Amino acid sequence: MIIKTEHLTYKYGIGTPFEKTALDDVSVSIKEGDYVGVIGHTGSGKSTLISHFNAILKPTSGKVFVDGQDIWQDDKTERIKARFKVGLVFQYPEHQLFEDTVYNDIAFGPKNMGLSGEEIEKRVMTSLEFVGLSKDCLEKSPFELSGGQKRRAAIAGVMAMSPKVLVLDEPAAGLDPRGRDEILSRIRDYHKETGSTVLLVSHSMEDIAENANSIIVMNRAACMMHASVPEVFEHASQLEKIGLDIPQITRVFISLHKLGYPVSQNIYTVDDAEREILSCLKGGGARD
Amino acid sequence: MIKDITLGQYFPGDSPIHKMDPRVKLLITLEFVVLLFVVNNFYGFAVCATLIVAVTALSKIPPKTVLKSIKPLLFIIIFTAFFNLFYGGGSPVFESVGWLRWLTWGGIRNAAFMSLRIILLLVGSTFVMYTTSPVMLTDAIERLLGPLKKLKVPVHEFAMMMTIAMRFIPTLVDETDKITNAQKARGADFETGNIIRRAKALIPILVPLIVSAFRRAEELADAMECRCYNGGDGRTRYKIYSCKSRDYVAICVMLIVTASVITLNVLI
Ligand SMILES: Nc1ncnc2c1ncn2[C@@H]1O[C@H](COP(=O)(O)OP(=O)(O)OP(=O)(O)O)[C@@H](O)[C@H]1O
Ligand SMILES: [Mg+2]
Repeated sequence: MIIKTEHLTYKYGIGTPFEKTALDDVSVSIKEGDYVGVIGHTGSGKSTLISHFNAILKPTSGKVFVDGQDIWQDDKTERIKARFKVGLVFQYPEHQLFEDTVYNDIAFGPKNMGLSGEEIEKRVMTSLEFVGLSKDCLEKSPFELSGGQKRRAAIAGVMAMSPKVLVLDEPAAGLDPRGRDEILSRIRDYHKETGSTVLLVSHSMEDIAENANSIIVMNRAACMMHASVPEVFEHASQLEKIGLDIPQITRVFISLHKLGYPVSQNIYTVDDAEREILSCLKGGGARD
Repeated sequence: MIKDITLGQYFPGDSPIHKMDPRVKLLITLEFVVLLFVVNNFYGFAVCATLIVAVTALSKIPPKTVLKSIKPLLFIIIFTAFFNLFYGGGSPVFESVGWLRWLTWGGIRNAAFMSLRIILLLVGSTFVMYTTSPVMLTDAIERLLGPLKKLKVPVHEFAMMMTIAMRFIPTLVDETDKITNAQKARGADFETGNIIRRAKALIPILVPLIVSAFRRAEELADAMECRCYNGGDGRTRYKIYSCKSRDYVAICVMLIVTASVITLNVLI
């Protein structure tokens, strides 16, 4: 278990009239090398949860373990280590760009880790490739880039720290469909090539189904489910009750299955769907 | 979190005090402040204190919160009280020799009198802040200063600036929080090192903050222009304040308090 929380509870604004329980007794554990999707309604506590993974927020009660260490147990060193082990890309990360050039901005994290100049350069180059920015961007000011490019530069800034766990809060929010697919596939490649753990927070079941292996479903400050993708989608009606939906394509296939077509119910992407339909047609296809 | 230092201390609620016309609230508060300087005996203060207790109960603001408004000036209160102890005149408390000779009964009375005045002043004037949202407050100020427009004082523009500034303080505080966290996640360290290092560590926060403030300002200006905003002339209002019965009741109560204070002043 690379990350684990035990009875994690967090309240905003304790002692003010605005007090709000954003996390209520959440216990989850995340396997090393997994690709986890975190889904939930607006305000369900997703961002609050992930901010605990690298000690940005201090639990009101409960414990957070990173790599087996309780990060709030003793002195600061564990928390500083957690910062570098868990790379957090916040919502709208392009708002954090500040350096004069893209290169310097991506290098900010590695520099803070105290790496050598050579190593920093290597990391900047690899992460630039991961997010798919061209090399001519490096000497530009980050404020000259387009919105999508800024987003990528900011993600590269966290990837360059080579964290064991990469956590992304809605990395595709506010991008056009193509930009969204591009970023998500880049993240998928990053996961495959580095073997690191990835957490993807998203509103879109489609995005999560296409990418993740397991899903954490947040609802009203609590973790409602944490299971593999097919297991979670088995509870379609429960998901619907909290205002979430299984991917459209999955719903189509469940209906087809109910109508008696010999198709699988665990279809999450259009590509899979195509394959399944083709094989179904080849196999004679008709209703039994 | 930085969020704890919100400006103003608006305490949302639904009480009659909250619902009062903010103009009336402001004027009554002003009157109350003046009244505190008119009072020349303890009975007068008792009347004022009763009013405050009643308003606290009505507004449903926790008494603890109300008393907290004294805290920032506690030092000044103690300081004033201490010096007043020795400048009161009258008979000494202790007949012994030495500097204690200067401590007089009159001094003690003066000290208590001055501290009470400051405390009541603080507590009384913060009710407006507690029960009126900043936006309503500037609105009320604009309305009250309205006559100055005739003298070409840009009251509307000034009030608009104030409103926008107040509206954006929480947003900017939020933004600062977010950017700080994002940079912390990249290993930025704001807590160690000497002053110069720490000041330098603020650059990763300040640059994005200023960039975003400008972006917001531009967006807001565009949005206002798109809705044909062109200054205060000829604008009608969305919220029209009108004095309701509760406002008249408040004014009457205040008149009664004022009358009793003045009567007590004359009688005693
Ligand atoms: N800084 C804050 N101060 C006070 N309350 C907050 C703060 N941040 C979040 N909250 C509250 O905590 C709850 C959980 O917020 P959180 O940001 O974790 O939700 P989320 O699941 O990430 O939502 P979204 O999908 O909209 O990003 C919300 O009800 C929100 O109002
Ligand atoms: Mg969020």
